[in-house]
Amino acid sequence: MDDQTRLATDAGKAIGGGEGASYQPPQLASPSFVAPTLTQRVGPFAHELLLFVVLVVGLIWAKQIAPLFMTVTTQQQLLFNVWDLALLSLPMTYIIITGGIDLSVASTMGLSAVVMGMCFQLWHWPMWAAALMAVVTGTAGGLLNGVFVAKIKVHPLIVTLATYSAYRGLAEGLSLGFASLYKTTSVYSGFPTWFTNLGQKAFFAGPDLRHPHWYALSAAGWLFIAAAIAMGVVLAKGPFGRTLYAVGHNETAARFSGLKVGRAKLLIYALSGLASGLASLNNAAEYNTAQANMATNLELDVITAVVLGGTSIFGGRGRIIGTVLGVALIHETREFVSWHYHDNTLIRLVLGSLLIVAVAINALLGRRSSRK
Amino acid sequence: MTTVDYQPLRPPLTFRDMLWSLAAKREYGLAVLIALIVIVVSFRSPSFLALSNISDLLVYCTQPAIVSCGVMLVIVTGEIDISVGSMLGLLTAVMGTLVSSKTALVPGFGWPVWAAILVTLGLGTAIGIINGLLVTLVRIPSIIVTLAMFMILASITVKIMHRGNITDLPQGLRWFGIGTILGIRASIWIMAAVLIGTWAMIRYTPLGRRIYAVGSNAHAATLSGVSVMRIKLFTFALTGFLVGVATIVTTLGAYDNGIGQGFELLVVTCVVVGGVSISGGVGTVAGVFLGVVLLMIQKPVLIFLNLGPGWSNWDKAIQGLLILAAVLVDHFAGRRKKPGAGGGH
Repeated sequence: MDDQTRLATDAGKAIGGGEGASYQPPQLASPSFVAPTLTQRVGPFAHELLLFVVLVVGLIWAKQIAPLFMTVTTQQQLLFNVWDLALLSLPMTYIIITGGIDLSVASTMGLSAVVMGMCFQLWHWPMWAAALMAVVTGTAGGLLNGVFVAKIKVHPLIVTLATYSAYRGLAEGLSLGFASLYKTTSVYSGFPTWFTNLGQKAFFAGPDLRHPHWYALSAAGWLFIAAAIAMGVVLAKGPFGRTLYAVGHNETAARFSGLKVGRAKLLIYALSGLASGLASLNNAAEYNTAQANMATNLELDVITAVVLGGTSIFGGRGRIIGTVLGVALIHETREFVSWHYHDNTLIRLVLGSLLIVAVAINALLGRRSSRK
Repeated sequence: MTTVDYQPLRPPLTFRDMLWSLAAKREYGLAVLIALIVIVVSFRSPSFLALSNISDLLVYCTQPAIVSCGVMLVIVTGEIDISVGSMLGLLTAVMGTLVSSKTALVPGFGWPVWAAILVTLGLGTAIGIINGLLVTLVRIPSIIVTLAMFMILASITVKIMHRGNITDLPQGLRWFGIGTILGIRASIWIMAAVLIGTWAMIRYTPLGRRIYAVGSNAHAATLSGVSVMRIKLFTFALTGFLVGVATIVTTLGAYDNGIGQGFELLVVTCVVVGGVSISGGVGTVAGVFLGVVLLMIQKPVLIFLNLGPGWSNWDKAIQGLLILAAVLVDHFAGRRKKPGAGGGH
C-alpha cells in the first residue's frame, strides 16, 4: 500500500467511521528537527550586539585617553544623572512599539514637580503626601494622553504635542501665579533629608562610604533595574507584550483578532505618566529643587535612546534590552564628552550624528519596516 | 439622450448640523474665535486695536507664518520637519557673524548684506536638501532625521555663538525687519508674498497638486507618474529656504544663542491648529495663517488683558489646550480624512 492509498483510507475511516476504529493520524515521514544555526539564533539580536560592541569599544577607548573617567567611583557618581532618562525610556519603548510616541514626558515631570512643590511648600503637606501627589499628577497626565489616543483616536504625535505645551504651561502658570499670589518663590526647595537621600545616596553601599560596593545604586536605580526586568519579561514573554507588537505591526488586524487595543494603549500612556511622576521625584530629590522648567528637552533624549536601541519608529519592533543599551550609550557619551572635553554643546552634535548613523545603518541593512 | 439627475443622498440639514459643519470648516472656526478674542480684548483695553499695535502683531506673526508654509507642505506629503527651530537659530548665527564688522566687540567677517543674505538662503536650502535626501534616499523616517538635525544644528549654533551676542548689525540688514514700504513694515510685505506665493503654487501649478496627491495616496501618485521622492525632497528644500527667509526678516537688533528654541513645536502647533492633517493630504494656507495668528496673539492678549502680575504666563498652557480643543471639535464634528479627498486651494 503506497502512501497515497493509505492516506485516502485513513481519511475515509475518519469520515465514515469505518470499522469503528478511532481515527489514526496519517504517519508522515518523521520531521527532521533542524536546530537553528548560530547565525539564526544571534541574527535577531544583531542590533543589540552592535550596540554592545560599540559601547565596549567606546569605553575601552575612553579608559585609554581618560583613565580617571573609567573608575568605579566616577562611574557611580555619574550614574546619578541617568535615572530620569532611564525610567522614562522604558514606557517609551512600549509606546513606540505600538507605533505611538509621547512628547509630553518631560513636561509631565515639570508639572508633577510643581504640584509636589506647591503641596509641600505652600500648603505645608507632609512630604510623603506631596510626593504621592506628584505621582498621581503624573499618572493622571499620562492617562489623559491615553484617553485622547485610545478613545478619541487622535494621532499620538498631536495629542502629546498638545500636552507637551499644556503641561509645561500649566506648571509655569501655576508656579508663577501662586508665587505672585503668596508673595513667594516659584522654585521650591528645602525638602526633608529622607527625601533628598532618595536621589543623592546610594543604597547597599556597604560600611565604607568613600569606597561603596560596586553595585551601590540610588533608589531610582534599583527601581529602574526591577522595572526593566519586569517590563522586559512582559514584553518578550507575556500576552500583553504580544498585544503591543500586534498593535504596532497592524492595528486593524490586532483589533479584529479580539485584542483589547484601546485598553493596552490607555495602559501604556498611563504607565508613561507614572514613570514621569517617579522621575520627577528622583530629579527633585537629586537637586533638592522642584521647578517648572525641570528636565527641559529630556523627551528628545528619551526618544533618541529608544530609537538608538533598535525600536522601529513605525512600531512592531523593539526590545527592552536594546533600550537599556541605548540609554547606556547615550549616558556614557554624554558624560564622557562633558567630563573629558568640558563641553556640553558638543554632546548634542555627537548624539545627533550617532542617531542618524545608527538608523541609517539599520535602514541600509534592510532592517527597515516594510510598511510606509 | 436623457440626462440623469443625481440626487445627493443626504438627510436634510438641521441648524445644529450646520453649526457643527461650520465649526468643522477650520478656517471659519478660527476666524470666529480670533474675532471673539479681539472683541473681548479691545473692550478691556481699546488700544489693542490701534493701527500700530495691529502692525506689531502681524510683524510678530511673520517668522512662524513664513516657516509654517513650508512645514505645512512637508506635513501634507505625510512627513514632518522638527528641525526648523534650530535651523533658524543656526542661520541667524551665521548671518550675524557674516555681516558684523571686523572691529566689533565680537568680530565678524564684515561681508556686504546682499552676500550674507545669499549665503543664508543657500545654507537653509542646503540643510533642507540634506534632510530631504536622508528621508528619501536613505529612507530614515523624517521624524528621526529632523530630530537628529535639530540636535546637530543647535549644537553648532552654540559653537558659533560662544564668543558672545552679536549686536553690531548693519542698517541694511535691519531694514528687512523694521523698514517700511508704503507705510507698512517690509517683513509684513515679505510674509504676504510668501503666503500668496504658496497659495498660488498649490492652487495653480501641477507641482502643488502633486504635493497633495503624494500626501493623499503615495501609491496612487506613483502609479500616475509622480515621483514621490522628488516631491518630498522639494518640500524639505522649500522649508529650508523659507527658514532662510524667516531669518532675514527678524526684527531683533541683537542675536543670542537662544533664538529658535521651541520654534519647531510652535510651528507644528500652528499648522495642526490650522487644520492640516498629520497623516497627510489635507491643509490650506488660509487655515495655517489663521492658526499662526491665533497662537501668536495669545501672549499679547494676555498682556493686554492686564490680569495682574504672575497671571500672564499661561500662553503655553493655552497653546496646548487649543490643539486639544481643535482635536475635540474634529472628533465631534465628524471631520475625517477621506482617502483621496485632497484639501487645498
